[in-house]
Amino acid sequence: MNLKAAKVVFGAGLVLILAFNSELLRAQEASATLSGTVTDSSGKVLPNAKASVKNLSTGQSTDAQSDAAGLYTAANLAAGDYEVSVSAEGVGVAVAKVTLAAGGQQSLNLTLTQPQAAPATPPVAPSENLPNAPSAAKTEPSLEDLGFSKSETQSNAAQQALLDKRTRMLKIHQRMGLITTIPLVATVILGPGAGGKSEGTATRDLHVALGSLTGDLYGITAWYAIRAPRIKGTEKRGPIRFHEAMAWIHGPGMILTPILGAMAFEQKNNGEKVHGIASAHGPVAIVTAGAFGAALLSVSVKF
Amino acid sequence: MNKRILPRFLLVGLLLSLAADVFAADHQWVLKESALTYHVSHPLHQSEGVSHAARGKGVCHEGHCDFLIAVTVKSFDSGDSNRDLHMIQVTRGAEFPMVTVRTRLPEAASTSPTIKADIEIQFAGQTAQYKQVAFEVITQGNDKRISGTIPATLADFKIDPPSLLTMPVKNEIPIRVELTWAPQ
Repeated sequence: MNLKAAKVVFGAGLVLILAFNSELLRAQEASATLSGTVTDSSGKVLPNAKASVKNLSTGQSTDAQSDAAGLYTAANLAAGDYEVSVSAEGVGVAVAKVTLAAGGQQSLNLTLTQPQAAPATPPVAPSENLPNAPSAAKTEPSLEDLGFSKSETQSNAAQQALLDKRTRMLKIHQRMGLITTIPLVATVILGPGAGGKSEGTATRDLHVALGSLTGDLYGITAWYAIRAPRIKGTEKRGPIRFHEAMAWIHGPGMILTPILGAMAFEQKNNGEKVHGIASAHGPVAIVTAGAFGAALLSVSVKF
Repeated sequence: MNKRILPRFLLVGLLLSLAADVFAADHQWVLKESALTYHVSHPLHQSEGVSHAARGKGVCHEGHCDFLIAVTVKSFDSGDSNRDLHMIQVTRGAEFPMVTVRTRLPEAASTSPTIKADIEIQFAGQTAQYKQVAFEVITQGNDKRISGTIPATLADFKIDPPSLLTMPVKNEIPIRVELTWAPQ
């Protein structure tokens, strides 16, 4: 019976973990990605070429910029027909059409060529209802005029990938933390019954099972936070500092609590009253659970 | 008589041509101070991120002024480094590090207490246009202080609403703009 209860609780936890992991996978599968290499007519790869990927049915454009290897990537695109135009100042332009399938990863390499000379027709004045149309007088200020450094304006695909990975892992950390709260609260509620004077072992065994599940889920939660990539040059500010400070309490607490619990469990099973260091199991568990709850609230609710 | 009139005529002609050159020449505005603030609503709390790092320039020519304002995505500070990193990630701020705002206004707009501007914003690899956004103009000496709110949404830039505790933030992210321009 007790083993059954433990299995049910553990199974429920497992189902929840699989459920949110499959949700993440679904989200990744839905969108298409277009990538390719931009080269000039001699075959030399072109970094910092501007690419615009326009959905022909919605008219919405996604911009990208080629990296040092001339590689451009446009992610999170819906399935459909697209027009891709790539340009690099002083080198030329290239335009191509491509059809993307849902969840697909399409490759489209482009070679830039010098555009042909424009026919000798008078320039068209910007339309009145298009106030953002380029000025015929070419007086519009450019980003270069504003004096931003290259490091500030240059695309950094590697940094974006690192941030994406960090967010994915912290999302799992967050969800696992929420899931962990359920058996944690149940374990704490069952605590007084498990350590009481009753000779029955049902509550105690369930307390142990739930405590074990809590420990396992907590371990997974902590792993995703610890393994999430650190972003260099970021000074920690705000509630995250309190959140991390709490981890220094509930982290050791989550290790100490089951050790003390095992000692108390053995003493109870031997018919002894819980004594010695094992009697600290309850208070340590309460402090641990309290620190865990405070950590959760610190990043959830603005105080 | 002719000898006396001719130099005067030439002088007046020269002065007139100089004056015409001065009025026809470009003049510029430079962004002196700025505060751009985005507002995000979540069922559990509200948050704001502000940047004072915008740079801008306006070039006036033939009765119109073309303005460009640019700011780095990472310069927005919400007081929470974790939230700021998530903001950079979700807006693809490392891939598209700049937010640029362009608009064209009639030169006479600077003398009006309110202006309505058509704005084009490039952000997160997308371009969105906002028509007839109202701004208040206050003159402070030679400077012009312009303030207003751009009714931006996450969907405008194809940004998936980030979530906290499985609850997503609202789609609306109004951006409060406060800019002080100085003539150059």
